[in-house]
Amino acid sequence: MIRAYAPIAIATAVLACVPALFAGSPSMMTVVTAGLVFAAYAIAFNLIFGSTGQLFLCTGALAGIGGFGSAILSDRLGVPMVLSIGIAGAAASVVGGALSWVAVSRSLGTIFTGIVTLTFSLAFQNFVLGRGDLTGGENGLRISAGSDGVLDHQVAPYYVFLALVAVYLVLFRRIQRSRMGWAFRALRDDEVAAKLAGVAVARYRIYAGAIGSAMLGVAGAVFAHHRSFIGTTTYGFANVDIRVLVMVAFGGIGSLLGPILGATAFTALDEVLVDYAQLREVLYGVVSVVLFLGFRRGAAPTIVDSWNRRSSRWSVAKRADSAPEADSR
Amino acid sequence: MPVLELTGVEKHFGGLPAVDGVDLRIEDEEIVALVGPNGAGKSTLLKAINGLQPPTRGSVRLAGVELVGLKTHVVRQRGVAMVLQHPQVFESMTVRENAIVGGLFGVGGERPSAATAAQRADDALTFTGLIDRAEVDVGALTLHEKRTVEFARALAGQPKLLLLDEVMAGLNDTELAASIEMIRAARNELGITIIWVEHVMNAVMSLAERVVVLHFGRTIADGVPADVMAEDDVIAAYLGTGGDR
Ligand SMILES: Nc1ncnc2c1ncn2[C@@H]1O[C@H](COP(=O)(O)OP(=O)(O)OP(=O)(O)O)[C@@H](O)[C@H]1O
Ligand SMILES: [Mg+2]
Repeated sequence: MIRAYAPIAIATAVLACVPALFAGSPSMMTVVTAGLVFAAYAIAFNLIFGSTGQLFLCTGALAGIGGFGSAILSDRLGVPMVLSIGIAGAAASVVGGALSWVAVSRSLGTIFTGIVTLTFSLAFQNFVLGRGDLTGGENGLRISAGSDGVLDHQVAPYYVFLALVAVYLVLFRRIQRSRMGWAFRALRDDEVAAKLAGVAVARYRIYAGAIGSAMLGVAGAVFAHHRSFIGTTTYGFANVDIRVLVMVAFGGIGSLLGPILGATAFTALDEVLVDYAQLREVLYGVVSVVLFLGFRRGAAPTIVDSWNRRSSRWSVAKRADSAPEADSR
Repeated sequence: MPVLELTGVEKHFGGLPAVDGVDLRIEDEEIVALVGPNGAGKSTLLKAINGLQPPTRGSVRLAGVELVGLKTHVVRQRGVAMVLQHPQVFESMTVRENAIVGGLFGVGGERPSAATAAQRADDALTFTGLIDRAEVDVGALTLHEKRTVEFARALAGQPKLLLLDEVMAGLNDTELAASIEMIRAARNELGITIIWVEHVMNAVMSLAERVVVLHFGRTIADGVPADVMAEDDVIAAYLGTGGDR
């Protein structure tokens, strides 16, 4: 029990120290806060893709449903901010659950699920541009709700997002350890075997889609109120999906802390390359190809594994027979 | 009432019938061997029963209740378990974890606690003799052991009917004897009805109480093993298509 949640406590404690390093610099606080938002997106994407193999290429769009939804609800309709965030999250959940339902009821594989959700991303982008009366279109949308609370300060928002990330991690862990977590593991290992064992594979995929999408919607909504301004690129494909994909692929697909590791690494990398925006985009493209070609389970776990194997070869040579197994999968 | 009743079951692949109108009644606690040359439609028939490859036409009734149209996991929860010709285990899990999945999801209309599922898993592992290897990763097991894991996973879900597809292929004599004993015990001690596809003829002769012969998707013989295997058209079916065992 304690061992299961200790990694979350440690990661949260470490991240809680970050503002101590950058508290003097508003721009750095913006960067690290955005890093946490990406960590939240990545945890949600990891729940959908890592746990159940559904390639949702609409992370940004679902977060955008949360962001634009909550902004419109609170500013136009006067819905209290907390409630509007909840409603927008629920809306994202319904949309994500529906996408998932389409994918499972048509038995789309990973690739076709990717194509369908990518198409949805493009449709969402067109909606944002086309319905400027609601979304602000190319000019973007200014949001007043939240602009006078904790979300507007320098350091406080960081902790709001850290709390969100911690909650998401706990949720992820709880799911992993529940009946649903068993179903996820089984269907990810072998779909046919899972059905034969009595697992309602389709239903559990839809659960993952709906829960992960709710997480994306809520994170996107909180981000909108924090920034007070959202535009067409805030939730754009290049800006969100590609990055989240690379972060999760780097940190370890399906693992608890992989998204945190990935978000930290690429937030740092972004900052190093801050003056080379174009180079950065190219780099992300190349890195994602390399990650998906070379490290099916994620770069960090593979590197840790091969390191362990090397060091154990030094001490005892007898693990050698079981070692190649872990590598080939 | 028979435990399982098939009427006019057909399964076509692109117009070609793999199973071509099978009628079959299986009584409670029977051990039925389903034999026939390669490509006769045996695996397809089993998969038609549990919905893995739903029949094109016909009806499959379990204790009078229609199964056609139900998803595989629902059929499983109604009490029909299957062990595939090519075992499909959860490779990232240990032996025990594989069985736990069966105990957690295999029984319909309930949400067993983790403890209950673990207990079912351990009972199944004890029954199949895998309990000493419970903590081993299944990735490290032999093909035969993986089949036994699948068998244990099936038992952990407390089935009424067990469909086994060539679980004895490639076994040595000791393993074969153990496998025969395990299946017989599943019927004798757990009251499970068995339909089992097999090419290993001495296993069929020693374990089966009834043999059904399938040829080009149809049943050409049905009866007591010694009689059935002596019938002329059964022999012809085997020789004619190069049956090797
Ligand atoms: N998914 C499929 N798509 C197309 N044809 C198939 C499919 N599965 C089986 N068949 C065909 O159906 C026929 C019956 O196959 P099946 O696997 O049921 O035979 P079998 O009796 O189990 O044979 P074996 O003893 O070799 O296992 C074969 O001609 C096979 O080629
Ligand atoms: Mg077969």
